[in-house]
Amino acid sequence: MGEASAHPDLVRVTVDDREVEVAPGTLVWDACERAGVFVPVYCAHKKLEPVAVCRMCLVEVEGMPKLQPACATRVADGMKVRTLTEQVRKFRDSNLEFLLLNHPLDCPVCDRGGECDLQDFTQRFGPGRSRQSIQQKVHFDKAIPLSDKIVLDQERCILCWRCVRYYEEVTGEREIVLQQRGVHTVVDTFERQPLRSQFQGNLPEICPVGALTHAKYRFRARPWDLRRTASICSHCSYGCNLFIDARDDQIARYASSDNEDVEDSWLCDRGRYSFPEYNGRERVTAPEAVVTGGRQVVSHREAVARAAGQLLRIISDRGPEAVAVVGSDLMTNEEAFVLQWLAREVIGTPHLDHRLRPTPHLDPADFELSIAGIEECDLILVLGEEPERLAPVLTLRLHKAATKRGRRVERLQPPYAWTEVAQPQRVGVISSELDRDAGAAIRDQLRGAGHTAQLLTIMERVNSRGCQDMGLLPGWLPGYLAAPQAGMGLPEILQSSATGKLKALLIVNPSAELEAAPEFEAALRGVEAAVVVTPHPGAASRGASVLIPGRTIVEKAGTVTNAEGRVQRVRAAIEPSLTVPTDLRTLGELAEALGTSLGVSPMATPVYEKLAAAVPAYRGAQAGMRARWGSGG
Amino acid sequence: MEGAQPVPDGLVLTRYQGAPGLTTLDGYRKVGGYRGLARALEMGPEAIVAEVKASGLRGRGGAAFPTGTKWGFLPQGVFPRYLAVNADESEPGCFKDRVLIEEYPHQLLEGVLITAFALQASHAFIYIRGEYRKQRELLEAVVREAYRAKLVGKRILGSDFGCEVVVHGGAGAYICGEETALLDSLEGRRGQPRLKPPFPAVKGLYGQPTVVNNVETLSNLPYIVTEGGAAYAALGTEASPGTRLFCVSGHVERPGTFEVPMGRTTFRDLLELAGGVWRGRKFKAMQPGGGSMQVLGPQHLDVPLDFKAVADAGSSLGAGALVVMDETTCMVEVSRRLVDFYRHESCGKCVPCREGTYFESQLMHRLEEGSASAEELASLADICAGMDGRCFCPLGDTATWFVMSAYRMFKDEFDAHVGAGHCPVRAGVGAAA
Repeated sequence: MGEASAHPDLVRVTVDDREVEVAPGTLVWDACERAGVFVPVYCAHKKLEPVAVCRMCLVEVEGMPKLQPACATRVADGMKVRTLTEQVRKFRDSNLEFLLLNHPLDCPVCDRGGECDLQDFTQRFGPGRSRQSIQQKVHFDKAIPLSDKIVLDQERCILCWRCVRYYEEVTGEREIVLQQRGVHTVVDTFERQPLRSQFQGNLPEICPVGALTHAKYRFRARPWDLRRTASICSHCSYGCNLFIDARDDQIARYASSDNEDVEDSWLCDRGRYSFPEYNGRERVTAPEAVVTGGRQVVSHREAVARAAGQLLRIISDRGPEAVAVVGSDLMTNEEAFVLQWLAREVIGTPHLDHRLRPTPHLDPADFELSIAGIEECDLILVLGEEPERLAPVLTLRLHKAATKRGRRVERLQPPYAWTEVAQPQRVGVISSELDRDAGAAIRDQLRGAGHTAQLLTIMERVNSRGCQDMGLLPGWLPGYLAAPQAGMGLPEILQSSATGKLKALLIVNPSAELEAAPEFEAALRGVEAAVVVTPHPGAASRGASVLIPGRTIVEKAGTVTNAEGRVQRVRAAIEPSLTVPTDLRTLGELAEALGTSLGVSPMATPVYEKLAAAVPAYRGAQAGMRARWGSGG
Repeated sequence: MEGAQPVPDGLVLTRYQGAPGLTTLDGYRKVGGYRGLARALEMGPEAIVAEVKASGLRGRGGAAFPTGTKWGFLPQGVFPRYLAVNADESEPGCFKDRVLIEEYPHQLLEGVLITAFALQASHAFIYIRGEYRKQRELLEAVVREAYRAKLVGKRILGSDFGCEVVVHGGAGAYICGEETALLDSLEGRRGQPRLKPPFPAVKGLYGQPTVVNNVETLSNLPYIVTEGGAAYAALGTEASPGTRLFCVSGHVERPGTFEVPMGRTTFRDLLELAGGVWRGRKFKAMQPGGGSMQVLGPQHLDVPLDFKAVADAGSSLGAGALVVMDETTCMVEVSRRLVDFYRHESCGKCVPCREGTYFESQLMHRLEEGSASAEELASLADICAGMDGRCFCPLGDTATWFVMSAYRMFKDEFDAHVGAGHCPVRAGVGAAA
């Protein structure tokens, strides 16, 4: 700051003698935060409308006789706010004493201990003593299962209403209500009906105390036991930012981050509670190779050498086109880029793919509409149920657009069409990749009618978009350049392997669908060499001639690209319990052994530089920007 | 009887007292009912508002806000607008709206219609407390009768003005007398006060501009329209114009409601209208405005029923309920009962009211039993300081007013309870008897 000349459209507010300039209509609480002054509050939440019920944030405002709630009072030019006066201090003392009157003394067994606002504010601002005897506490029900995911402790509740308001404002489902009144007030479900929302997991996070807790996290850890890693949810293509909280080599929970451009701080339960799949699932523990007489455990170095040897023999005997390369959309951009390079440049085969389902004709125009941009559209057309089934958090963005921004949201049923003629307006069309053609047709038709129309195509997996951008496809090079020679897609690769037309397969991080496909086992039987890099045992590991342990997505670093083309970092949240090299390193070593050097260190950052040189849209995007695909994106 | 005896021509609300069949349309018409409505429709909205401003009428629900000014807060040109009639009379010691509904229901309805016309409100909702079941049924019958007579509904009395009237029963919560809680309850939500601003005049019932007026306030309208605002104002004094219906209860010989001119009547006059302190006992204290207001003592008996004079004495006329306490009354017990009332009625929305009333009540129970320590009694002021002016709405604030004023005025009596093991006042009375 420093310049005395103010923005004409800003107002000046003084907080404890610190002056800040904020937009008119800013809440006093936010102005305090801008001034670097912390004001304790329980009921207010950045994503919810103010209610001013906890009174914890009462502050002095010059000229007003009573203390004012900072969370609900709007600034005025020249306003003087004081948060450290004797009057404020005394009231905070009183209010915390009130809050603790009927609060149980079970911090030692409360999941929230160590990250509880009631504990923290009491330590920082509270009286440090109680004047009421423990016998006089009002008791309520404890450990009520509201569903298989959420447990409610009514005694610990301080009635901030965040959960009630969350359901009213964010999901619109109203599953939790206030009941009774006065000191007997409780939050509960109506007639104790179980919660049905698919967004329940956000409740314990907005709860400022230990009243709402995750069933899956109960008694699992203390916050100081956890190592927190910022990453991306691996469960769909929406790319929700989150924190992975791990205790030793186990993930204890996923916690919301707050990226307003993507998940807007809300996670769906499917994603949030998906982490047990990374805890204790059976792993490929050691490299193995078929040596004369059968498969045996070998060193990593030997496994890579044998893999290269088998592939080189087939390339020299049958030519490079006897080899096919298969990845999956669980791979990072860096891995996908290196794998397609390995196929095309090192081995020299056009046969590569990453998914069983044929890939529709896609191009960057299919994700012009950004997730946050949904809110800016006057009209939002959603094609069927598939987009929200694939990416549940999309539902909350649509709800926000409709309720907080007053946008019109229409969910269409097949056959998809939109014929209503209206004033030219901004229209967002959202389709799943299956309905991409219908979505594009509606978009083009609306554009023809003078509207500004953009499409967002929701993909299936965490890096479905990135694998396509990276050209891990038979017909497309990185950056959607047509391949000089279109190779076989995965279904054809499997068929050709089974019939013996293909002689070798290189399979990295196979998807669950591929592992479950009967054609896959036949394919593995049909080829002479199957080099497999995978974290989990399955059809691929069983049929491998060389097997190399791989990493799961929570064990690796790199970038993934979400449905709107946003390039976001995944980080290793846990280490595999055994020494497993990263997939990127294994691929780099394999290339080296095949006679071509990657040219850069097989680490996420240098490989990203390399891929960004090939795909200019990705330049500078690795810190969470959307890839810039020319004028459209 | 000495003092200001109400003279029949000085009455407004109860001027038809004793006339037969007032709860029927015929009976009310015989005494001149609905002439005010006809007159209002001729006058037009602006002229009515001018008369109400001239009358100096102030809200009779407790806050005494000037009625004409309140109406003026409605934003220009925003429709529909609503009128909500606050018949959620639940202040301890208050029963005047009940009398106005039971005895003069058509007068209320006429006042409602005049006001709705003045505000150009399309709907009027009479929100009546849940416990007033018979009164609700009576009002419903009166409204039905008025519909049949084309006094309510479309084209009232052949004019272009139409207004629907709905009678809605509450579910038994003191807080629903607070105007925004009333609106939430009326909308079918949990009855709890709303965050202000926006105020109801701007964004009230169903998000539309809304005026909330008390039953007594609106019952004055037929008189003001027919006799003129100046005539109404002249009944009282300049600072406190008009008349008011006071509820006198407690330790008096003849409890009841009494319409008296404002400003020219004293508490002593009211007490005498009610037959004086009962059983020949001595006057000890009084609550001048219902359960929420500060206690006054014998030295205040000659204070006139004037807003400023009562405020100077340290209290308020509130909702117009005078509760009289004789010499045998234990002020700790009265305080405890009132604090229990607020604990029971706290809606639970904000922390200081929800927890503070509970804390207060626990302490007062122990004090009354004589088991509280001096430190505990000393913490009463702290507890109340954490509530007064800190709560979301006035309920929690007022939950401290009586007990704190009683503690100041009768400190010896509170102190005598500390560690006494019993109530010293009652013990003393027992010994004297």
